[in-house]
Amino acid sequence: MRMDTVIMGGGLSGLACGISLAKRGKRVTIVASGQSTMFFNGGSMELLGCVNDKTVENPLEAIASLPESHPYHKVGVDRIASIAERVKLLFSDSGIDMTGSANANHWRITPMGIAKPAWLTLNDHLRIDDLNQLPAKRLALMCIRGYFDQPNSMLAEGLRNLGFEVDMIEFTTDDITALRRSPSEMRATSLAKHLVSNNALQRIADQFNNLAENADMVLMPSVFGQSDSSDFQTLQARTNKPLRLVATLPPSVAGMRMMKQLRHYFKMLGGTYLMGDTALSGTFDGDRLTSITTAKLADMPLKADNFVLATGSFISRGLKADFERVYEPILGVDVDADADPEQWTRFGVLQPQAYFGYGVATDNQLRCLKQGKPIQNLRAIGSVLSGHDAVKMGDGTGVSLLTAIAAADQIRENK
Amino acid sequence: MVTTDIYKKEYDVIIVGGGATGAGTARDCALRGLSVLLVERNDYSTGATGRNHGLMHSGARYAVTDGESASECISENMILRRIARHCVEETDGLFITLPEDDLQYQQTFVEACQRAGIRADVIDPDEARRIEPAVNPELIGAVRVPDAAIDPFRLTVANLLDARLHGADTLNYHEVEGLVISQGHVEGVKLFNKLEGTHVEVRGRVVVNAAGIWGQRIAQQAGINISMFPARGALLIFGHRVNNMVINRCRKPANADILVPDDTVCVIGTTSDRIPIETVDDMRVTREEVDVLLKEGIKIAPSLATTRIIRAYAGVRPLVASDNDPSGRSISRGIVCLDHAKRDGLEGFITITGGKMMTYRLMGEIATNAVCAKLGNTAPCVTASQPLPGSEPDAPDQKDATKRYSFGQRAAIGRHGSLAARIEKDNDIDNALVCECEGVTVGEIKYAVHQLHVHNLVNLRRRTRVGMGTCQGKLCSCRAASLMGEFNGNVKAAQEDLAAFLDERWKGMRPVAWGDTLREAQLTSMIYEGLCGLDMAVNMEGKEDVQ
Repeated sequence: MRMDTVIMGGGLSGLACGISLAKRGKRVTIVASGQSTMFFNGGSMELLGCVNDKTVENPLEAIASLPESHPYHKVGVDRIASIAERVKLLFSDSGIDMTGSANANHWRITPMGIAKPAWLTLNDHLRIDDLNQLPAKRLALMCIRGYFDQPNSMLAEGLRNLGFEVDMIEFTTDDITALRRSPSEMRATSLAKHLVSNNALQRIADQFNNLAENADMVLMPSVFGQSDSSDFQTLQARTNKPLRLVATLPPSVAGMRMMKQLRHYFKMLGGTYLMGDTALSGTFDGDRLTSITTAKLADMPLKADNFVLATGSFISRGLKADFERVYEPILGVDVDADADPEQWTRFGVLQPQAYFGYGVATDNQLRCLKQGKPIQNLRAIGSVLSGHDAVKMGDGTGVSLLTAIAAADQIRENK
Repeated sequence: MVTTDIYKKEYDVIIVGGGATGAGTARDCALRGLSVLLVERNDYSTGATGRNHGLMHSGARYAVTDGESASECISENMILRRIARHCVEETDGLFITLPEDDLQYQQTFVEACQRAGIRADVIDPDEARRIEPAVNPELIGAVRVPDAAIDPFRLTVANLLDARLHGADTLNYHEVEGLVISQGHVEGVKLFNKLEGTHVEVRGRVVVNAAGIWGQRIAQQAGINISMFPARGALLIFGHRVNNMVINRCRKPANADILVPDDTVCVIGTTSDRIPIETVDDMRVTREEVDVLLKEGIKIAPSLATTRIIRAYAGVRPLVASDNDPSGRSISRGIVCLDHAKRDGLEGFITITGGKMMTYRLMGEIATNAVCAKLGNTAPCVTASQPLPGSEPDAPDQKDATKRYSFGQRAAIGRHGSLAARIEKDNDIDNALVCECEGVTVGEIKYAVHQLHVHNLVNLRRRTRVGMGTCQGKLCSCRAASLMGEFNGNVKAAQEDLAAFLDERWKGMRPVAWGDTLREAQLTSMIYEGLCGLDMAVNMEGKEDVQ
């Protein structure tokens, strides 16, 4: 099997890169384990949220001041704005409706009611453009009886701190009561799976219309829409008040939906998505990677002109650490990480942790290094890259998307 | 009872220390009709009680080196199987000989066990491999002994509950700042209420110092010197239970030679190092300790090499110094009861120390005997025969296949025995699961908050095992924090509590933060910081460690 490009990793960055290449007629295969950190996504993309403990208002402006080692510099600071626009297009082409701007962060609302800076937020989720001009005065926070993955008391308090008036209103319907008999069904994904029929949605809308009379916006946990936003739209059409969703603890229905939509679009463009497979090793010829083997295609190496490493950070096993060292487990390419394990972490769970910044080393073309020398046809994108911090800088999804598009461009330009 | 009413009372006996020994002494005193107050500076079982293997020794480990301790152990072992059966899992134990060990020692070992009254059956290595598949298959010898697993948190709470049922008062988060002494008599304690920030004095006719390693400081407050030997031991918890039986090395006691199955996980330990008394509050585990534990652990059960380590922790044994043994291994684990009237001329003050979690009941009995002698009380000790609450003869059995229990109910019965009946299950929400790994329901959390002195998530973990399982509180800690915020109406405090809980977990994870443990840490950060923004909601600086 010979492809133009093989992408190791089917998360956000792998799919964005795959779509970008497939759209231009390239034959692309994605090897995907099926797991993704999008399962913890809050319905938003972040470009850059925080630099040196300061909240970023204009990401485009702030990106220029980032250290040279940050992946955005490998994208090219002057190209960020145009690539960011192409990401928005990629989402809308995939059927994902998001709003936001690269030169002005807005605020997303976390499951704990904290406002965090964001670049793009799903249109059905609560978004605040200006903290001094809230989109509603009085919110009805609808809490599903027996659903504990929305920390209701914290969410309500957080929203009040932002200046909303909040009524916490518990509700249930016959459908939800039936689900509750099995405690394991009270998770976002199960609710999303079961609350789909017109009747079930009507019963929820009836509750809202009865209980949320005094509010000017109805807020509820993001437990709708496994495949698209039609369930939400049905519910909104039957609810008298504007309706918004708010992110829950994992699993994230919105994140899983976005992944499904991107996957669908990638396949529509002719891409091959090997779900449930993992890259195991690669064969090099000088400064080129010639093929990789995967767990399921052990006897059939995947050959390609170009390869992309989009395997994610430690959490996704794109990076591994043992007692003594940090390494990249598939191809053994160079990593940027402290040699002394004492430096990887520090006490204080909410303190910045050095390991978040670890990742594979690349040249200014995002090409992976092996023993210090660039592999000409192997690029790394997304969370496997060193030099950024998804948690403390709020740049995780942005790095995934922008490096994905930049790598796709470089692959095409090199031809 | 309201705390301020407690302050006004005058007690027969005030017990300092809420570990197993203090709780056992409080129970014994209460059962003999004394009026009792127990005070603990942190949460119950935060000291050595909550920082050991959870091993119910048969005594075999001490048979060769310390016959007296061995005899005490086997006798208490048999008692605990009766009175605390909801805290005990009867696993039995193996003492294995590996090719690097001297098989001759097995003979010495078995003879010593027999002298101490401990059943010790030499079994064929094949048989050992059959009954305990996790054991190192290269073993050349094995002896089966009546070791078992015990939950020290549950055991301590059961003793406290029974003490309270018999009229005792107990206060956690009350630190002893000094003793009230008048004309050579101790007449009470000066307390600092850490939750309220207030200082009070409470009167008592006798004060029992059951503060473990911290007992040296308590005694110092009365101008008395007890020379403790702080022997620190570090342990590792693995992400699932690889073994069904306790596995020991059959050799002279050394580092990391016991692997104990505890509920859903297993624990390897311990190291043993003498540490300066000033450092007994620093429970952070070092990389060197982890290295030793892992290397030796793999020899006992090779599958540990590929099992995720979920956390590391350490405790300090309150041994009483007698010679210059640098490791403390040859010091007797025997019980020391000091009547300071005889020893130091100070009336009304008793120290109970040394010993082990295993012999807490006997220590309680000895201390209570000393108290009763002072107060002229002649009631006999009944703690060896009267079951603890939760372990009554008619207590439900979680393994009873004829009963239809839900997962949560079954888990609750395992944890609380007959007391599980007190858990609310009036409506569909009480049965809802908060912690899936350990099967903790909303009702059980309510019960713990309202009846088991739970002030924060770390307390809750000790009472119910919320967050103790494989996932280490990834989602359930947030669910529980939010519920507690609703119960007590203080959301800000609930968030700070959640952050403190995660921080406490991280302390145990950081020394083993590689492999899957590092993945788990990253996942936790992505959820609580990245997704939720908890780091933006709370300020941890200057906060005292949660206990």
